[in-house]
Amino acid sequence: MKILALVGTNANFSYNRILLKYMKKHFRQMADIEIAEISQLPAFSVDTPLSEQTEVWKLKQKVKAADGIIFSTPEYDHGIPAALKSTVEWLSYKTDVLKHKPVMVVGVSYGRQASARSQVQMRQILVSPDCDANLLPGNEVLIGNASHSFSKDGRLINAEARDNLENCFTHFVKYIQIFESVNKEGLDMSIKQPTISEAYINFPTGRLTLKEVQQIFSTIPFEIDLIDSTDHFAWFSDKPNREHVRNVASLGETVQECHPPLAVPAVMKIINSFRNGEKDVVTRPLWMNGHRSLIQYYALRDVNGHYLGTIEFTGSVEYILNLFENGAWSTDGNTGASKHEDASDNSEEADSVDASTGASESSDDDNTDNTSEVVATPAPAANDDTDADATTGASDAGSVDANDDEADATTGASEN
Amino acid sequence: MKCCINNLKEVTRLKIAAIAGSNANHSYNRMLLEFIARHFSDDDIDVIDIRQVPMFNENYKGKIPEVVADIDRRVSSADAVIIASPEYNHSVTSALKSVIEWLSYEVHPLENKPVMIIGASTHDQGSSRSQVQLRDILISPGVNAYIFQNEEFFMSDAAHIIDKDGDITNETTIHFLEKCMREFKHYAKAINRMVAEKKEANK
Repeated sequence: MKILALVGTNANFSYNRILLKYMKKHFRQMADIEIAEISQLPAFSVDTPLSEQTEVWKLKQKVKAADGIIFSTPEYDHGIPAALKSTVEWLSYKTDVLKHKPVMVVGVSYGRQASARSQVQMRQILVSPDCDANLLPGNEVLIGNASHSFSKDGRLINAEARDNLENCFTHFVKYIQIFESVNKEGLDMSIKQPTISEAYINFPTGRLTLKEVQQIFSTIPFEIDLIDSTDHFAWFSDKPNREHVRNVASLGETVQECHPPLAVPAVMKIINSFRNGEKDVVTRPLWMNGHRSLIQYYALRDVNGHYLGTIEFTGSVEYILNLFENGAWSTDGNTGASKHEDASDNSEEADSVDASTGASESSDDDNTDNTSEVVATPAPAANDDTDADATTGASDAGSVDANDDEADATTGASEN
Repeated sequence: MKCCINNLKEVTRLKIAAIAGSNANHSYNRMLLEFIARHFSDDDIDVIDIRQVPMFNENYKGKIPEVVADIDRRVSSADAVIIASPEYNHSVTSALKSVIEWLSYEVHPLENKPVMIIGASTHDQGSSRSQVQLRDILISPGVNAYIFQNEEFFMSDAAHIIDKDGDITNETTIHFLEKCMREFKHYAKAINRMVAEKKEANK
C-alpha cells in the first residue's frame, strides 16, 4: 500500500514533519509511506503560467498514484498555514486528483490545543465539493506539547499518543482497503487480464488469441503507449521494467492532463502533425534511466489512411548499440554486396541491420526509411525532433517521470 | 482624559486600509474595494493589492520582505481595516491567509485594529464560509483584531452585480453598503477610543 504524507508547512523545522517521519518508520510493515514537501510549490494563483507549474504537476502525479494521503497540519492563527492551503488549492483547481481519495488528518503543536482548530478546518476543506476527498472520520491524531512528546531522535515517546496513533493509522489502512477492493473488481482486473480469454483475433496473416496478443506486447523489448484519436491516453503495453512507468489510474486522461505542462506544446505539435497528415513519424534519441533509449512516435492509421491515434514506441537501444560498437556487423559491412546476400540468408537479422544502422548514421533520414512501408514521410521531421527535445529536454533531465503520459497529474492548470 | 483622535475633522473622516484578499488578476473582491474607495470618497480608503506578496515562510526570522513592510506601514497608519475575502474550497484563500500570517509574525499591525470583513463571490453563498473562518483567524491571539459584527456583507452573483467598469448599479446593494460603512465607522471610532483609553490607563 502506497501512502503519500504531506508535510503541511514550508518551515525548515517542524514537528509535523518529525511526526510523519516517525510514522513512515513505525508503520513500515503496514504501508509504504512517502513524505512529500510543499515548500517548492509556487503560491497558488489562477494566473500562474504553465511554465512555473512543473512542481505542481509532479505532486499531482504522486497524489494520483497514492492509495491514500496523510495531511499533517500545523496551526497558524487558528487556521492551517497558507502554504498548506495553497497546496490544497493547487490539488483542487481544474483537477480531481483528490476526488474520492482516502485522506487522513494528523497534527502536532507546541501547546495543549494540538492544532485542533486547524485540523477541523482542514477536514472542512477536504470535504468541500472542489476536493471531494474520502476523509477518514473520527480518528483524531492531536499531539500537543510537542517538545516533550518527541525524543531528540524523533520518536514519539508519549505512550498514550503512540497507542492512539497506531489505532488511527490501522483504521486508515482498513479504510483504504475498502476502496481498494472496490477498485480491484473494476479497472485493475480488466487491465491485467483480457476480458475474453478464449477468443481469437483473425488477422489477414493469421490468428492470435487475446492472451497471445497481450503477451507479445509484454515480451517485445519496446514498450508501446497509445493516445487515441480524441487525444486521450487509451492503452499501454504491460512490459516489465518500462522506461516510462505508467499507471492505470492515468488511462482516459487527456494529453494535457497526462503530460508535464512544459511538454504539452511539443507533444500536441507532434500529434497534430500526424492528424493533419503532415508527418508519420517523429524520432527522439535520448538518455533515459542512465542508458541510451529511442522514442519514436508513429501515426496510427486505418488502412484507408484515416488517423486512429498516436503510438509512442520506446525502448533501450543499449543492447543494439553495443552489438554495433563491438563490430557485430563490421565484417558484413565491408562488402556492400554481401549485405543483400545476407538479407536473403537471414532475413530477420538483415531487417534489424537496416533499421539500426540507419538510425545511427542519420536519424532523420532513418525516419523515412523505417516507415517507408507505411507511407513515405517528408524528411523535415527533423525540425520537430529538435523542438520536442529542446522543450522537454529540461524535464527529462530533472526527472525521468517528467516524460510520462501516465502522469496523473491532471494538472488542472494545464487544462486551462 | 485625552483621546488620540482629537480633531473633529478626523473623527468624521477615517483612513481605512482595504485589503483585497485575492491574488488573481481578475478579482471581484478587489473591484468591490475599488468601488468602495470611489463611492466613499469622503473617507481616505487605501486599497491594498496583495498580488506581489510572497508565500509566508517562518524561516524569514527577523526580517520581512519589502512588499510586506509596505503593507505593514499602510495598515499601521490606518484607523480601520476592511478585508474583502473570496472563498476557495469553503475557506479563506491561501493568498490572504499568507498576508495575515506575515502580519502576525514579526510585525502586528492588525493588533487592536477595528476590521470589517466583506466578500464577493460569483456563486450563491457569497463567500459566507470564508468570512466565518476569517473572523476566527483574525481574533486569534497572534492577530488580535476587533471584528465588526453588526452587519454582514456577502455579495453573491458578483459577475452580474459588478459591471465591466467595476461599478455597482444595484441601488439595494449600494444602500446596504452605505449602511454597513456607517455602522462600521461608529464601531471603529468606539474601538479606537477604547484602545486609546486602555493604552493611557496602562501607562
